[in-house]
Amino acid sequence: MTAVYVVLGTAFGFILSRSGAADYDYIQGMFLFSERQLYGIIGVAVALAAPGVWLIRRRGRTLFGRPIAIEMKALHRGNVLGGALFGVGWSIAGMCPGPILVNIGEGKLYALAALAGALVGTGALGALYPRLQPLLGLPPLRVGTGEG
Amino acid sequence: MAGSLILHDLQPLHWALAGAGIAGITLALLFLASRRLGLSTGFEDICSLVLPSPYFRRSAVLSGRGWRLPLLAGLLLGGALSAVLGGGWEPTWDLGMFDRAVGLGPAGKLAWMFAGGLCIGFGTRLAGGCTSGHGIFGLANLELPSLITTVSFMAGGIVTTQIVYRLVFPLVGAP
Repeated sequence: MTAVYVVLGTAFGFILSRSGAADYDYIQGMFLFSERQLYGIIGVAVALAAPGVWLIRRRGRTLFGRPIAIEMKALHRGNVLGGALFGVGWSIAGMCPGPILVNIGEGKLYALAALAGALVGTGALGALYPRLQPLLGLPPLRVGTGEG
Repeated sequence: MAGSLILHDLQPLHWALAGAGIAGITLALLFLASRRLGLSTGFEDICSLVLPSPYFRRSAVLSGRGWRLPLLAGLLLGGALSAVLGGGWEPTWDLGMFDRAVGLGPAGKLAWMFAGGLCIGFGTRLAGGCTSGHGIFGLANLELPSLITTVSFMAGGIVTTQIVYRLVFPLVGAP
């Protein structure tokens, strides 16, 4: 199954690379409202994925018969605060998380610094989580090795 | 406005084709393996390899590493493949309009990108996801937290880019 994930990731990376989704100028063009490309990509992706997700969840089983079990996103004050902060970072770097890796793969050297920053930022959030959790109503930590 | 990609000045794929491809990958992950698309959790997977704090020992991280790390490796490969097929792989510092308007050298770009990365890492994990997990899967699955997060990160990005490229470093002749 690992090979399937690598292949899907490679296809995803190729599309992100060639569509403008991993391109600094297209990202700024989206936020400047001077470029429709990214709105079109995200809009079509959501519009086509929505009925598919609904059908697959209604069927309730994967192709191989395993039950479909996915975790829902939690609602809390971090959605707004974290979302806004992520937006600032997306604008500064011109990359969201997937495209950071795509840009590194393309050979864009500055993307390595974006990855380093993202990992330090993730580490910092992990360290502060116990203090932020009650403050922002974040979900309690479920430590363990269950299905996730 | 952009017209072509920074990568070898290539013409981008049509947005409808790219969107359909992303939808196909999202549905393949769900239908083949009951996985919800989400890339920023991958930062936690990487951190969990070296950091022992409880946050990185969550079941969502430990049980997701086995599929998400191969997916992330694929993203690297996909970017490299795109460069190779599009005119050759070579290390580059090219940063499009940033070079024309802001004009920092390599050290400045590394600092700029590190700062952006900090916001991305902290922000996505605080929000519980990024463009893929909230913006694509979450919206497609009609989840309210994803709508709230997507509106928030679009707002954060729009405000920041408007400040950077219309006020602080205005591009001459920008639309």
